[in-house]
Amino acid sequence: MTRPLAPDVVRGLTEIVGAANVITDPDRLLVYESDGLSAYRVSPRAVVLPGTSDEVAAVVTLLHLEGIEIVPRGAGTGLSGGALPTPDGVVVGTARMNRIIEIDPENRLARVQPGVINARLTEATQPYGLFYAPDPSSQSTCTLGGNVAENSGGPHCLKYGVTSRYVTGLTVVLAGGRIVKLGGAGRDSAGGLDLVGLFVGSEGCFGIATEIEVRLLPIAEGVRTLLGIFETMEAAGHAVTEIMGSGLLPAAVEIIDRATIEAVEASIFAAGYPTDAGAALVVEFDGTEAGLDLGADRAEKCCFEAGAREVRRATSEAERAALWKGRKKAFGAMGRIAPDLLVQDATVPRTKLPEVLARIAEIGERYDLKIANVFHAGDGNLHPNILFDRKNAEELDRVERASTEIMHLCVDAGGTITGEHGVGIDKRGYMSLVHNETELEMLRSVRAVFDPDRLFNRGKVLPDPLAET
Amino acid sequence: MTATPESVVHPSSDAEVAEIMIDASREGVGIFPLSSGHRAHPVRGERPYLELSTTRLDGIVEYEPADLTLTARAGTSLATIDEALRAHGQWAPFDPPNVGERSIGGLAAVGDSGPLWMGYGELRNHVLGMTVVTGDGRMLSLGGRVVKNVAGYDLLKPMVGSRGSLAVVTSVCLRVYPEPSVDRVLLLRRDRLSDLVAAAHSVGTAPVMPVSSVLVDRTGVNESPALVIRLHGVEETVGADQASLEGHLGIVFEQAPSATALCTAVRDRGATSNVVLVASALPSALSEVIRALERLEPETIVADTYAARFRVGLSQADPEAVGNARASIERLGGTLRVARFPADGAEVGPTSEPSPAEKDLIIGIEKTLDPMGVLWPARSRR
Repeated sequence: MTRPLAPDVVRGLTEIVGAANVITDPDRLLVYESDGLSAYRVSPRAVVLPGTSDEVAAVVTLLHLEGIEIVPRGAGTGLSGGALPTPDGVVVGTARMNRIIEIDPENRLARVQPGVINARLTEATQPYGLFYAPDPSSQSTCTLGGNVAENSGGPHCLKYGVTSRYVTGLTVVLAGGRIVKLGGAGRDSAGGLDLVGLFVGSEGCFGIATEIEVRLLPIAEGVRTLLGIFETMEAAGHAVTEIMGSGLLPAAVEIIDRATIEAVEASIFAAGYPTDAGAALVVEFDGTEAGLDLGADRAEKCCFEAGAREVRRATSEAERAALWKGRKKAFGAMGRIAPDLLVQDATVPRTKLPEVLARIAEIGERYDLKIANVFHAGDGNLHPNILFDRKNAEELDRVERASTEIMHLCVDAGGTITGEHGVGIDKRGYMSLVHNETELEMLRSVRAVFDPDRLFNRGKVLPDPLAET
Repeated sequence: MTATPESVVHPSSDAEVAEIMIDASREGVGIFPLSSGHRAHPVRGERPYLELSTTRLDGIVEYEPADLTLTARAGTSLATIDEALRAHGQWAPFDPPNVGERSIGGLAAVGDSGPLWMGYGELRNHVLGMTVVTGDGRMLSLGGRVVKNVAGYDLLKPMVGSRGSLAVVTSVCLRVYPEPSVDRVLLLRRDRLSDLVAAAHSVGTAPVMPVSSVLVDRTGVNESPALVIRLHGVEETVGADQASLEGHLGIVFEQAPSATALCTAVRDRGATSNVVLVASALPSALSEVIRALERLEPETIVADTYAARFRVGLSQADPEAVGNARASIERLGGTLRVARFPADGAEVGPTSEPSPAEKDLIIGIEKTLDPMGVLWPARSRR
């Protein structure tokens, strides 16, 4: 049960950020009850929306003095419950801190506040011929602060790498309201330790990033996108192995399975994928125009050799958008089939994909559950999505058991429990599959270096809530 | 006061490393982890310590070419890894000085990427997993062998580049890449290094990104200062990229006749000078950093222009002059540190430090991984 905040704490917060930016009205708190992992809902005691680093520091100082837990929140699009409120906690949202502070084309850097939306940074840097590489599927709504917390990936991370490759410096607010600058593009971290790299992916448990310095890349001269249609998932998997083993460096290699194709084609997002196909494979190349058709030709050959029924190729931006549509709208389309969706995020060595996918299908059948696969095949990053209705308690139980089996399966195949969505609350219970107690204890101790009282995002990432209190 | 080790221990397994660390913790003996036997800095202090060599932790543990990942024990040389990779048309795209002679554990501990990071990302982005033994003998497995992994806080990042100050690295899993079919090296030569800065800036803002861009005072192959650009791809893309760069710069590059020899000469230049300094700054400060470093009258200057990272070789260091150079570079937002100390143990001068707040966090992390302070010799450079 959520306890209301004491009036003097509300007053203190209001003095820092203004009355309009402290939310305590239960109706207005509703939207903050969950993030993208909608199966869990907890009402926070309040939501505070600071506008500057100093305001974040003052808010953290006050909450720290009162011993109140702090739940950092970006856009709330995360899929692991990382921004799920705690009943004793106050949500500190970065939505108002949405300013691009500086674009520095000479050094190919940008400095932004944490509430800047991922896609907006790329739009803003386009006139300079630059872009920001990490592109999570939620990039039109997710924020860079959230991306830093989760070390977000995205389809094009196959070629470009994940968020941590691009973050060069951070200003962070730590426990007690200390404002600390970490790293910086001009500084050599080898003199100390890579604290920026450690902070990225800390899921809001170390503090709140209030200023982020990122590296930008030149926009590729051209792009080619292929869509391969396959009778079976196995054949699509072989095509991926062929493409990746042939020395090509595609920017993205994505697969959607039959269940997903059916969902997409039955929805308003219909992309023209044949509904009797076993799998669709999207392969994209970008870079110097002169090499693109060569890469695309070779990938097309790999697809046909693996048994593709047809391969479509986009040469214009409109055609490209059409080929990507089914992949990008897959999650939205699934909402039409079932009220709830459990998005999994395991990564396995790429060569294990065919075997793991077959076993996932078998698990789905055994538990009588619909599992739709959409995934970053080039990275071996799977998203088996279990469709269900959380009002059906018996079905929910089967979902949980199937989900646990899938996690064990991926870890046994040499993989891990999360590739890009983070542990949050959702996968906390699976952490012991990939870390022994010594390692978990080490993670707890490292977190305590940043936040000794464990007030930031308590209860997330690490199992055993007892150790957290 | 510079100390010398009591002896060198050569464990052959992670368990033996752990045993040594536990014994050292109990006996109050310091441990200085070494990989290929090359010690980068003198140990300052009077307490007894042992050197821990990882040379017997040798061999490739797992290599699945189709997964583009390779795991090797810490003492495995990069030359051995390179040979295994090349047999499958693959390679590990980092090029720090004398890379072949280094061991993978040592390289990961030092965190030195070399200029190829422009095209492929830094070494820290290639390390997918590590096994380490902490100062108090706890064996930890960090990361894994998959290319995307966010299961828990990323301890791999501070571990890469920690120079043995947190733990002894016992194995490393790397992400590897297909070999490019064409590796073209382009040269632009001028009489003075400063005459090449404008061209280096243009490369840094060109629509085409080479895989590396290096300014060098002398290549060893050519006697004049040069900007050395490397392009990877297939014949068609490399040709188009060269034309695009030349159009952007308004110049025509020479194509290096012996690309491998030239790249090796540039890569290793000045790395074994008596004193080696590493300066870092933003690319926009290239000219000013060159001016600050030239006042040290260096034997060699090599600069990775993508990040304005300089390696400067000196026959000997004048601490006051080094202090002045550091102050100038720090005013530009950069750093100056020592990568190689003089053999005679002479003072080099003050170098850049993390901020006090960063230092607090660093000490906290060190205490977490090495609570008994056994790894003090590795930290004694600071």
